Amino acid sequence: MFGFGKPKQVAETEADGEIERVYHEIKQGLRVSGINLNFRTWAGYEKFFPAMWDAMRPVAETRAFETAADEVRAESVRTAETLTRIGAKSNANLGESQRYQIEKALELYHYINPKLLVLTAKVRQALENEAAQTQNELPKNTELIERGIPVKMYPMEMISEEPDDAEIVAIFEDIKKTLELSSINSDYRTFGLWKNYLAAFWRELKPIVESMEYEQASNELRETARKSASDLPPISLSKKQVEELGEDADEILKTTEKFEKLLPSLVINISLLSLDGKTTNELVKSPFPAATRKQGGQKR
Amino acid sequence: MNWREFQAKQKAIEIGDRFVSYVDEGAGEPIILIHGIPTWGYLWHKLIPVLSKQNRVLAPDLAGFGYSDKRDNFDRAIDKQAELIDAWMNETGVEAAHIVAHDIGGGVALRLATLFPNRVKKLCVMNGVSYDSWAIEAMIQLGHPSAYKIASASTSVHTLRQMLKQGFAETPEDEILDGIFAPYTTEVGKLSLIRNATALNTNLTTGITHLLPQIEAETLILWGVDDKFQLLKYGERLADDIPNARLVKIENARHFVMIDQPEIVAEYVSNFLK
Repeated sequence: MFGFGKPKQVAETEADGEIERVYHEIKQGLRVSGINLNFRTWAGYEKFFPAMWDAMRPVAETRAFETAADEVRAESVRTAETLTRIGAKSNANLGESQRYQIEKALELYHYINPKLLVLTAKVRQALENEAAQTQNELPKNTELIERGIPVKMYPMEMISEEPDDAEIVAIFEDIKKTLELSSINSDYRTFGLWKNYLAAFWRELKPIVESMEYEQASNELRETARKSASDLPPISLSKKQVEELGEDADEILKTTEKFEKLLPSLVINISLLSLDGKTTNELVKSPFPAATRKQGGQKR
Repeated sequence: MNWREFQAKQKAIEIGDRFVSYVDEGAGEPIILIHGIPTWGYLWHKLIPVLSKQNRVLAPDLAGFGYSDKRDNFDRAIDKQAELIDAWMNETGVEAAHIVAHDIGGGVALRLATLFPNRVKKLCVMNGVSYDSWAIEAMIQLGHPSAYKIASASTSVHTLRQMLKQGFAETPEDEILDGIFAPYTTEVGKLSLIRNATALNTNLTTGITHLLPQIEAETLILWGVDDKFQLLKYGERLADDIPNARLVKIENARHFVMIDQPEIVAEYVSNFLK
């Protein structure tokens, strides 16, 4: 069970000071229109969170990181193609604008979830190290990608985690129970904007996520992300550093491990949902390809 | 009709980097219905079935409103909204249309009628903004830079909902108020509404005052006489300044005249657009 007992999630609207600064940085550096549950939860550890991001940011803005996430995304799509297909968009009685917006929301999560998985794997690896592998500057020839939220990226709009609508409450409860979550991820809260769609896809997705094939696919994707993360340059973060900040490094590590466990399934779910209307060839490409930033190496 | 049913009728079209959601029903000479703040196309849900019997009726959500684009990276001022409507008309195959507009949609319509006159066949403005009639205090407060942090989406909607009740002769059923505010109950929706309020700019109607006498389109100014948000005197002034305009005062109606008196409004608009 996702037992985020200690840290209170910090919503974007509640963030101030360093947390607000880091949220802004995340949106610019990761090129994403909102702050996912990972970050909102990590932000509950108010000393750890800025330290984590300041260590991770230089790597997260490299071409190597973007490529690692691209590879995770492509593998996820190919894996999803072998699983039972979902037809929720056809079965949910949606209007044209609703379909359009769902496509855009899927693009958002299809882009960001693989990046979150690689990032989380990298943070987990760093937290397992006693001492940081410090590196003051990325090599001069390191390719960096452009910063900023892609112009056409859908906003990370979400309904409340505790909505008024009884049908959505029931679906959220079932999702939490099935996936052993204590909090509903941003993805599901976004799809709650279209109740019929949420209900239709969860009906189809639930038996898939309970299958052995799905579990195996999730495990394999996690391993891919771990390998990619370990191939990235080291970051200035360690268990010792976190403890010196006065934070409970073991608890943060457990929280991070839980996200690392969950994220592959979220990546695959979005691939499954995206295949309902798009082809594998379309989906293995990044929905928001990043141009190269016009500058050299970056100081830490 | 509840808002979910209305939302399911909406189409979507990309205009440059943005997208517009809109209802498009019926066939015949096109009528475009333009809402105000803080509403969206749902505002017209009682009028659309009447008008679409004889006409093609299109009801867009302005940029930043309803279920149109709510990203935080574009200007929502009424001059930009008028330009967007102009571009959207190209995409929907509408060369010219009768324009029916309310609140800041009225400001958009006045800009269309003065600056894009070939787009407007007949013009109907209901309790619309004009001259220096706006922005009202509640919207100025909503658009304050700190509003995003002051209250959650649910609190903001609750406060606005109470305020908006002053715009009705009688408090409408919950279904209507739920519908009006549905797109703004999320944090993204709230922020978008705040940005919409921040973009309210009197200069964009005062700046076209001198052009009003040049409007050639036949014009109906339809006003809920008890409106506290947009006072009747502005409707009277519009009727004086626009050469071919007629003012109709609707009794027992406030700002949301099409909700307060739907049958009377439908009759006036239908007859005017025949």
